[in-house]
Amino acid sequence: MYHLRLVGQFARASVQNELAYRANFWISLLHSSLGLITGVLGLVVVFGQVETIRGWDLPSTLALLGVYQILAALRGLFIGPSLEALAGMDGEIWTGNFDFTLLRPVDAQFLASVRHWRPFALIDLVLGLGVLVAAVYQLATALSPLRLVAFLLTSLAAVTILYALQLAFSALTLWNPGFLFTWVLDGLFNMARYPVGLYPGWLRIVLTWLVPVGIMTTVPAQALTGTLPPGTLAGSLGAALVLLLAASALFRFGLRRYASASS
Amino acid sequence: MSGASANLRGGWALVKATWASWMEHRGFFYLVAFSWMIPLLIYMFIWSTAAGEGTVGGLTRGDLASYYVVLILVNQLTFSTNNWTVGDAIRYGRFNFLLLRPLSPVYDALASEVAVKVVFMTFALPLAAILALLLRARFDLSLANSLAFLPALLLAWALRWLWGYWLALLSFWATRADALLSLQESLIFLLAGQVAPVVLLPGPMQAAATILPFRYMVSFPVEILTGQLSSSDLGIGFALQVGWLFVALALFVVLWRAGLRRYSAVGG
Amino acid sequence: MSEPHIVVRDLSKTYRVPEREAGLLASLRGLFQRSYRDVEAVRGVTFDVAPGEMVGFIGPNGAGKTTTLKMLSGLLYPTAGEACVLGFSPWERRPDYLRQISMVMGNKSQMLWDIPPLDTFRVLGEIYHVPSAQAQRTVDELVALLEMEDLLTKPVRNLSLGERMKCELVAGLLHRPQVLFLDEPTLGLDVSMQGRLRRFLAEYNRQRDVTVILTSHYMADVVALCPRVILIHHGQLLYDGELQGLAQRLAPFKLIRVALRRPEWDPEGLPPGVDIVESENGRVTLRVGRAQAPALTAHLLNTLPVADLAVEDPPIEAVIDQVYQEGVS
Repeated sequence: MYHLRLVGQFARASVQNELAYRANFWISLLHSSLGLITGVLGLVVVFGQVETIRGWDLPSTLALLGVYQILAALRGLFIGPSLEALAGMDGEIWTGNFDFTLLRPVDAQFLASVRHWRPFALIDLVLGLGVLVAAVYQLATALSPLRLVAFLLTSLAAVTILYALQLAFSALTLWNPGFLFTWVLDGLFNMARYPVGLYPGWLRIVLTWLVPVGIMTTVPAQALTGTLPPGTLAGSLGAALVLLLAASALFRFGLRRYASASS
Repeated sequence: MSGASANLRGGWALVKATWASWMEHRGFFYLVAFSWMIPLLIYMFIWSTAAGEGTVGGLTRGDLASYYVVLILVNQLTFSTNNWTVGDAIRYGRFNFLLLRPLSPVYDALASEVAVKVVFMTFALPLAAILALLLRARFDLSLANSLAFLPALLLAWALRWLWGYWLALLSFWATRADALLSLQESLIFLLAGQVAPVVLLPGPMQAAATILPFRYMVSFPVEILTGQLSSSDLGIGFALQVGWLFVALALFVVLWRAGLRRYSAVGG
Repeated sequence: MSEPHIVVRDLSKTYRVPEREAGLLASLRGLFQRSYRDVEAVRGVTFDVAPGEMVGFIGPNGAGKTTTLKMLSGLLYPTAGEACVLGFSPWERRPDYLRQISMVMGNKSQMLWDIPPLDTFRVLGEIYHVPSAQAQRTVDELVALLEMEDLLTKPVRNLSLGERMKCELVAGLLHRPQVLFLDEPTLGLDVSMQGRLRRFLAEYNRQRDVTVILTSHYMADVVALCPRVILIHHGQLLYDGELQGLAQRLAPFKLIRVALRRPEWDPEGLPPGVDIVESENGRVTLRVGRAQAPALTAHLLNTLPVADLAVEDPPIEAVIDQVYQEGVS
């Protein structure tokens, strides 16, 4: 209850903060639309030359782009801004304002993860849902309730993995405040726009096992199109749990390190 | 004359200082270079997977790999950070510092251009070499193409730089002019051979790419080097590149003068 | 006397910092290897602070003041030694502990930048479990004390440095901490704003009986607020006691001011080891070792046409300045 109230307060303050600059809404709309248009046009260009690549055709890849857009929206809503304010450029770890976060009588990981909200990310959410729905209509096979459940579960796993990765990369900043680890994740996350199957073998392995950004969009899209390999549903939920625990441990460990090394 | 040479010396000192401070933050710049590369890498992988053992639009996997490897390098060389920093400097009043120096602000811009390019190359060159090996890029370079590549590259850099600079100068009038830069980045992505080599673009996009300036900022020299252009395409391309450069130069000069007048009138 | 609020025993902190050299070649070399060196920021510091006491932490830049404060507020793990504040070990960062302390830093802001201070206070009230009626009362009280009614509804980014510092203080005191750490609270403020903040802190300390540790570069802050000072230099505790005693302990000299009946006199006649600080129109100020002072006084009275003579301790700023520059022998 206390934590929910806190989240409410943070969201409220962030909305106020964002609305202080009216132009931000239009800029966000422009950025989101440009991102989506370039993404869709990119696919149109590729599938203008070839029918399918490794079993992926235009509608199924479009569905995956929709999943990506929704994930990116959730990330942009609070996970990204909060942890970016912590570990990003001029972030709290770099400026030392992280001290104030540590002085609060609240769990530091919770506080660091939900503090900043970017309401305009909801634009991305709407656009992403639009792409997803449009893609599902074009799919060759109809959507069954079972597939929908599998899609929702794998999406839950995807969001969890996304949060865990963002937290882990932010935690690394506690060891080396000068390096923007979250930017590396930004770059890798971009690769989730496309099915992992489209990448060369060695990169597929990296994106599945090392930094599993690939699982985040490919698996839900497979669930939606009914091409989910057996065991993948349980596997992605398990991976999400393991990653979440590991990232939290890393963050805690990083806090100790920060407290013993910063000046 | 002595004034000019003093400025050159000052300019060189600026290059050295900028380079030193950028090397100090090389981790940051490697990261920036890395994030610029990502979209190109993605499409490089996708196209080479799409080509498989066959061809796409007449290009083999080796052709596509070599095209993208060179494109990555050219993109790093022509990308200008000034476009963003100049706008910020105007917005946050830091432009005053630049105007206070007994040195034209253009030197400052050029200094960071040269310094950043060298820093980026220490990262991009080894990476490009590794990629070329991994993806078995196939280069057959002709002497003529190589000779035409260099002026095209230089012109591309000048065009991209000036084009971004005049856009950034719009910050004198509109505070959020950087939104236009995002639009330009999207157009470059779609039309300057990044999402696909221009020959693979669908008809209308290909036409737009040929006429608009964006292709001549990035992919034109790459197409020359990888031998995708006939000699008539080459001539038309150079003409358009030079033409757009003059347009950018004119816009830059006009906006620079008007902007400074406005800046000194309203204060920073 | 009740239990001390703060107990510090042999507290030490060592950092490992990368070394960098200037120049192009050096930065190139830095590509391949980095060298490190250990910095002993705090070395075996021991002291107690009683409830309601106001203690001034002084020392030159890099002396270890902020490091000590950060260990006491739980932001840093010590390398060795112990500290106990309000019965807690600070670096365990227990919520119950953090709710009872506060740290205000002159060079860092905890205010949200684009919205009015009242909204930051609301978020903080929620974080610290302050019931909203009580939060409102506390804000009203502090706002009255600091005379800042008109600032509450302006976005923080539009406030001046001094105005923002007032907000930082309200933010830091909202949950009525029992122990308050103030790190350079008057940094960058003009003289009259410094004075107002000092009066506020003195008044607040008197009303609420909070324990305060204050660091400041401005001796005037310390002189006005802290009956007791702790001097740290190179990470070591050099002095702990009354402000007045500091001069006697650390300045091994006295100032002798002499007014002469005739302006002309012969400085050659002075015994060795005496410095002339100033000499103008028959008014002479001499600096002499503490032990030598009585003998020199007698010598002056015997040999010169003295109209008036006074023996003084040097001003506190001068003493501190000397310690900062030369260290203590």
